[in-house]
Amino acid sequence: MIDDVYVIGVGMHPFQRTAPPVRDMYFTAAKAALNDAGIKFKEVGELYNGYLGGQMLEGIGFAKDLGLNNASVTHVENASATGSTAFREAVRAVRSGDCEIAMAVGFDDMMKMGMSMMKSMAGEDPTIDSIILPAGFFAMWATRRMYERGTTVETFAKIAAKNWNHARHNPYAQRQSDHEVTPEEVLASKPVAYPHTSKMACAAGGGAASAIVATKAVAERLANGRPLVKVTASQSKSEHYTEGHIFMGAVVGPADLTTRTTQALYEQAGVGPDDVSFVHVHDAFPIEELMYYELMGFCGEGEGDRLVEEGATSIGGRIPFSPDGGLTARGHPGGPTGLAQVWDATVQLRGEAGKRQVEGAKNGMVHMMGAGSICVMHMLQRED
Amino acid sequence: MSRKPLEEGYFVIHEDGSPALLGSYSKAADQHYFPIRKQCPITEEPVETVELPTEGVLYSWTYINMPVMGATEMGFGGTGVGQVDLPNGVRVQANLKGKEGDWEIGMKMKLDLQPVVKKGDTELCTFCFSVA
Repeated sequence: MIDDVYVIGVGMHPFQRTAPPVRDMYFTAAKAALNDAGIKFKEVGELYNGYLGGQMLEGIGFAKDLGLNNASVTHVENASATGSTAFREAVRAVRSGDCEIAMAVGFDDMMKMGMSMMKSMAGEDPTIDSIILPAGFFAMWATRRMYERGTTVETFAKIAAKNWNHARHNPYAQRQSDHEVTPEEVLASKPVAYPHTSKMACAAGGGAASAIVATKAVAERLANGRPLVKVTASQSKSEHYTEGHIFMGAVVGPADLTTRTTQALYEQAGVGPDDVSFVHVHDAFPIEELMYYELMGFCGEGEGDRLVEEGATSIGGRIPFSPDGGLTARGHPGGPTGLAQVWDATVQLRGEAGKRQVEGAKNGMVHMMGAGSICVMHMLQRED
Repeated sequence: MSRKPLEEGYFVIHEDGSPALLGSYSKAADQHYFPIRKQCPITEEPVETVELPTEGVLYSWTYINMPVMGATEMGFGGTGVGQVDLPNGVRVQANLKGKEGDWEIGMKMKLDLQPVVKKGDTELCTFCFSVA
C-alpha cells in the first residue's frame, strides 16, 4: 500500500461542448484545486500538465497565470489516460520524497482537435491506420458480446441512461438533462455504430480538472476538519500478448489489460472488489462499463447483464459505477477526464457529493484507458 | 486505371490484381502478426515478412454511420467494419464491403481492395474484406 500520499485539493471547470479558451479553463480548475487545498501555487513543488493536441509546452504557459514558483514542470500525454497519468506522476513525486506537494492539471478541447480528424476523413492525407473511427472498435466489442452472451441493446441503453441520470446531479457535467432519461430515449437517438447510438457515446467537448497531492503531515495540517483522502494504490500497465491480439487500431485493447491492472491495484491497496464503494471507468460506450463489471471482479464472467437488471451499479445500488455521469454524460476531453474522476472520487469520499452521494463511501476506484494500450488506475480511501 | 496501396508495407497487389496482407512470422514464438513487426513482440527475436492467408472468419462487425475514409462529402452513408480471424491466428480489423445486414459472425470472408483516393491515373487503395 502507498503510505504517505493524500489528495488535499481538487477542482474543475465544467465540461462543455462549446468551451471557453483552454487557458481560462486551466486557470479555473487549477485555482479551484489550490483554494480547495488551502495553499498558494508557490507551495507546489512539482506540476504535471496533461493535455491532447494544443501547442508544445502549452501547460507551462498557462501555469504562469498561477504564478512563477520555480517548480519542476512536466507535460504528459497518454491519450485518454493523460489526466490519470498526470495524477500518477504527482503521486510518485510525493511518494519519492522529491517534494511535499505535487499538482496535476488536465485541460483540452476535443472539439478543436476533432477538426483535424475531420479533414483527414475528407481525404486530406488519409492513412491506412486511421481509416476506422474509434467508435467502430467499441461497437465490434459490443457486437461480439451480444453474440457470445446474448446481451441486448436494451442493456446498453440502460447503462447509458443510468449515467445520464447520474450526471443530472453533477454541476460540472457536460450533459445535464432537464428530465429523467429513459433507455427508450437512448435507443431512439441517432445511430453511431451498431449497436451504439449517439446517447450511448461519450460526450466530446472541452474542460479542465486538477488534483493536488501531498504528504500526510501536510494533509493533516490542512484538513480543516474534513476527512483525509489517501491514495492507497497506483498502477499503470500496457498490453500483454493475448490470443487474437490486434496491433493496429485496437482502441479498446485486450480485455486482459484491465484485469491485470485491477489485480495489481487490489494487491497494492490491500482490498478486494467487496471493499470498493464506487468505481469510475473509461466508459466511452456502455459495452466498456458492462465488461468492466466482470473484468474488475464485481461479478462472474457473463454476469454483468444481471447487475444492470438489478440496478446494482446505480447510485444506491451495491456498487455504483460512474456516479458523476462517466464519460457518457460527464464528458470526455482527453486530458482532464482522469482528473475529473479523481475530483468526484475525492468529493464522494469526503461525503460532499450531495444528491449523487454514495452512502458510506470508503474506497473509490478510478480507471482510464489510453488508446487501448495503456491502463492507469488508482484507489483512494477515506481516512477519518 | 492502375491500383496501388495507399501506403506501402501493409499489403501487396499482385499482377493479377489480387491483394495479400503482409505480416511477420516469428519462428521463435511460432506466431504470425499483422502488420509487419520489426521483431517478435513476445521473444524479441527476428521475424520474417510473409504474405498472410487471404480468407478468414468474421469475428465481429459493426456499421458506422459515417462516410468511409477519403470521402469528400459528409452527412450520408456509412461503412461496415469488422474483425476477421485468419487461419494462422492473426486477427485483422478492416472495412467490410457490403451494406448493413450483410454480415453475421462466423461468415467466411475474403480479402479485397477498397479505393480511397485517386492520384492521376492511379487508384490508391486500402484493404478490406468482403463476403466469400
